[in-house]
Amino acid sequence: MLPARRYGRRRTRTATALVGTLAGALLLASCGGSGSGSSDGKTLRLWHYEGPDSAMGMAWKAAVKEFEATHPGVTVEFEEKGFEQIQKTAPMVLNSSDAPDLMEYNKGNATAGLLSTQGLLTDLTAEVTKRGWDKKIGAGVRTTSQYDPNGVMGSGRWYGVPNYAEYTMVFYNKDLFKQHKIAEPKSFGELTAAMDKFVADGVTPLASAGAEYPAQQYLYQLALSKADRAWVDKYELYKGKTDFHDAAWTYGAETFADWVKKGYIAKKSSGLKAEDAGVSFIQGKSPILFSGSWWYGRFKSEAKFDWGTFLWPDAGLTLGSGGNLWVVPKGAKNKELAYDFIDITMSKKIQNLLGAKGGVPVAADPAAITDPKAKSLIADFNTVSGRDGLAFYPDWPVPGFYDVLVSEVQKLITGSAKPDEVLDSLQEAYDKGVPKT
Amino acid sequence: MRTALRRYPVLVALVLAALFMVVPFVIVAVNAVKSPAEYSANGPLSLPEGLYLDGVKDFWERVDFGQKLVNSVLISGSVAVLAVALSVLNAYAIGIGRIRGRTWVLAFFVLANTLPQEALVYPVYYLSKEAGLYDTRLSVIIVFTVIQAAFGTYLLASVLGQFPREILEAARIDGANKWQVLWRIVVPVSRPTLGVLLVFFFIWTWNEFLLPLVMLISNDNQTVSVALGVLQGQRLMDATMTNSAALLGVLPALVFFLVFQRTLTRGIAVGAVK
Amino acid sequence: MTVTAERAGGRGHPRPAKSAHRQGSSRPTRDSYALFLLPGALAFLAVIVVPFLMNTGVSFTDWRGVGTPEWSGLANYRELMDDAEFWASFRHSLFMVVAMAAVPTALGLVLAAALFDYVGKHFGSRWAAVLRACFYLPQVLPIAVAGIVWSWILAPDNGSLNELLKAVGLGSWQQDWLGDPDIALYSVMGVMVWVQLGFPLVVFMAGLQRVDPQLHEAAELDGAGWWRRFRHITLAQIRPEIYVVLTWCTIAALKVFGAVYVLTKGGPGGATDVPSYFSFTTFFEKTQVGYGAAVSTVLTVIILAVSLIGLKFQTRAEDAEEGVRA
Repeated sequence: MLPARRYGRRRTRTATALVGTLAGALLLASCGGSGSGSSDGKTLRLWHYEGPDSAMGMAWKAAVKEFEATHPGVTVEFEEKGFEQIQKTAPMVLNSSDAPDLMEYNKGNATAGLLSTQGLLTDLTAEVTKRGWDKKIGAGVRTTSQYDPNGVMGSGRWYGVPNYAEYTMVFYNKDLFKQHKIAEPKSFGELTAAMDKFVADGVTPLASAGAEYPAQQYLYQLALSKADRAWVDKYELYKGKTDFHDAAWTYGAETFADWVKKGYIAKKSSGLKAEDAGVSFIQGKSPILFSGSWWYGRFKSEAKFDWGTFLWPDAGLTLGSGGNLWVVPKGAKNKELAYDFIDITMSKKIQNLLGAKGGVPVAADPAAITDPKAKSLIADFNTVSGRDGLAFYPDWPVPGFYDVLVSEVQKLITGSAKPDEVLDSLQEAYDKGVPKT
Repeated sequence: MRTALRRYPVLVALVLAALFMVVPFVIVAVNAVKSPAEYSANGPLSLPEGLYLDGVKDFWERVDFGQKLVNSVLISGSVAVLAVALSVLNAYAIGIGRIRGRTWVLAFFVLANTLPQEALVYPVYYLSKEAGLYDTRLSVIIVFTVIQAAFGTYLLASVLGQFPREILEAARIDGANKWQVLWRIVVPVSRPTLGVLLVFFFIWTWNEFLLPLVMLISNDNQTVSVALGVLQGQRLMDATMTNSAALLGVLPALVFFLVFQRTLTRGIAVGAVK
Repeated sequence: MTVTAERAGGRGHPRPAKSAHRQGSSRPTRDSYALFLLPGALAFLAVIVVPFLMNTGVSFTDWRGVGTPEWSGLANYRELMDDAEFWASFRHSLFMVVAMAAVPTALGLVLAAALFDYVGKHFGSRWAAVLRACFYLPQVLPIAVAGIVWSWILAPDNGSLNELLKAVGLGSWQQDWLGDPDIALYSVMGVMVWVQLGFPLVVFMAGLQRVDPQLHEAAELDGAGWWRRFRHITLAQIRPEIYVVLTWCTIAALKVFGAVYVLTKGGPGGATDVPSYFSFTTFFEKTQVGYGAAVSTVLTVIILAVSLIGLKFQTRAEDAEEGVRA
């Protein structure tokens, strides 16, 4: 007879148990998502992806409390999402019944612009004027809230409302400057002189990261220092033809390469990530980091030395824009509640809280901010915004341009390509991807 | 006869190599118990100055890690079992049944793995929406059962191709039909290989990121790997929390491996069956 | 048993194309074996083939992931043929095949034999199991986290590797492992070996269970040394596993994306670009879904062709062996 027969019964029992568990598990697993919500006005489904310890995260938590206090009987169903998940799945989710009532979404033509052309976002223009949000949002900041029928930012209907803004500045380690007997630079010439002194003392002055966004932001800023508003409009809003061999870009690329040669930017930064650049500043290894206001909160809590910020000297334009947008999906079931929530986040109370926690609010009361560093952070922003100096980011105009910029700037850092060749490649990629209107 | 002393250098060399393999884990563990300030001040490769477990606790509550663990165990466990079962059925037909054109049949199953996952995203999203399974864990289980079964079919079919014919003939002569031969003879003898498949499928599914990210929208349905993705912000990342989360996420898969690696060795030797 | 009867009754026709008569056997037709394939075939059809056909369909359109796709014929494929960067990146794939298939398989074989035959026998199976777990550990760590940790180890300033080299007096060997375009590829290859080694090891060690210890004993009595026994007994017995592992790792090498992306993002300056990188970024960063579909269709076809070659070799070798044994 079959040799394994005596194992038959035990194996049948194990097999039955296994099948039973499996069936139960699968039944459990077929349970769907938390449902598509209902329009009874009793719940607000809210998604965002800012960390709970960030300025926005904390301000929005307070806004939720305020909302529930002013709307008795209504609960806020908040789900924290990951940035990557929203980035990859927004078109799919917004097209399904799972869409929330209100969510944070990325600004820009490739994201909010694209979805607006597909009719997935609610047109907020009426609410914006009714509730006076447009009066609180400055000209440079509102560029990323309005999209025309082609999905290009800058004009057209309102599709999103930003609570905060971002811009780039020079973070510098005051203690290191004092240690090397260098005064805070007040002009571009003084900045380069300071960097020369650091190099002479054996310190690489600028923290940079070639594998992610920081390096290309140096390049863009250098170009911006020789550019004007019309130049930015041509590049970002397609209002004219962009020539990568014009004076501004040529200056930017050649100066960047020159700075690598002079030792201002380390050659070894070609493979570093943004995190490495930030850590190198916090550790006190790099005296200067040129990057965005998103670092502010972290430096405030982790840097153990005296540090300060100033705007890039002798340049009217700097990188920056309105922050991520509150968008109301077309399929949202409780739009009125969503508008109320946006209103609360735009109120002085929440905006001041955002400023106090290290964010850059769009509509705070300057007198209410007491912390001196936060005060100067917001004051600097108002300066830039006031002179219409927000020049957005270099990777925005063309989808996928970020990777091209990273790759080409890496070549500038390692010296495997000359500035001319790099500009040629950028031109080619830009022309290939720019929308043909 | 070799003297005992001559054996030790081999063991020592292997232990050193094994330690080298483990070094990055130690780094993860070390950073998991550092406070963010320590990490920024001393760099990622320094030793922690104490045990900072707030990061782990915060992360657990922030993403409702308990629920994520349940989801991951549910999905990975179901996929592991189902994919092994599917592989057994397929491999039996291909390896022992020797159906004609088995190269093409194998290629058909291997196709599941040659297709880049990003190509599956939109079609699977569309099909699952039509089937009403969008944003359910079942959809993920179904998709991964098929994807993992590709490897299972391939490996098991190749192994069963070498299965001693005499045993099958003997069973057939005894009057067993194909089904009985499968469950009474082939499966017990193939236990080590099945164990390998079970372990692999569980761990591979546990670490899957792209498809669960796309298919599981509600936070209640998400898996551990998707929850880890929450820590990668648009511009900033939380390094110490990422490491604590990684450690938390790896432990169940590790436990599974350690528990089930005994099955990798517990097989009935061919000689015994003879 | 009843299950087989249910299948025969409920599911309908077995596949005539797959039934055949085995050479030199008086067995009845092989239809019923094909029935075992039915659940698998149906599942694969629904989950893989249909989406693949949908994907190929999308590759003939211009689509951003939302809205209606616009037919564009072969435009995407023509653009792909002109994309020099994409085809150039296949050169790096060859390096990846070495790092992810050739080296781990060879090393895995030696390690498996060492752990199973040598350590297991002389020091007990507990040691072998612990060592195997250590070697397998890299496969358990999510690749995103592994990438972060390796970028710390390979950092140019204060990275563990450079610090170690300095400490043992080899300071001149320090490099910018991930940032130097000339070495970045080799560094990535090294990390990939670390990641992949556990996979062949576990598969081979499980396969070695099948080897009849009496064969080894007999050979040892005959005076055969470890190497000859390894070649003629071990290798011969686990040949199926070797084929499977080599083919599978080659497919993985051609498809590799996550690890490279986390370590170098394809840089510096494209020095570590891989074909899947184009597929991924086109789908998700550029949201050019039509073009991305074309890239992935071409990739699938190429990888399938390579795996078919491997499969054909394998079945031919198996048939030859079968002929010898029968």
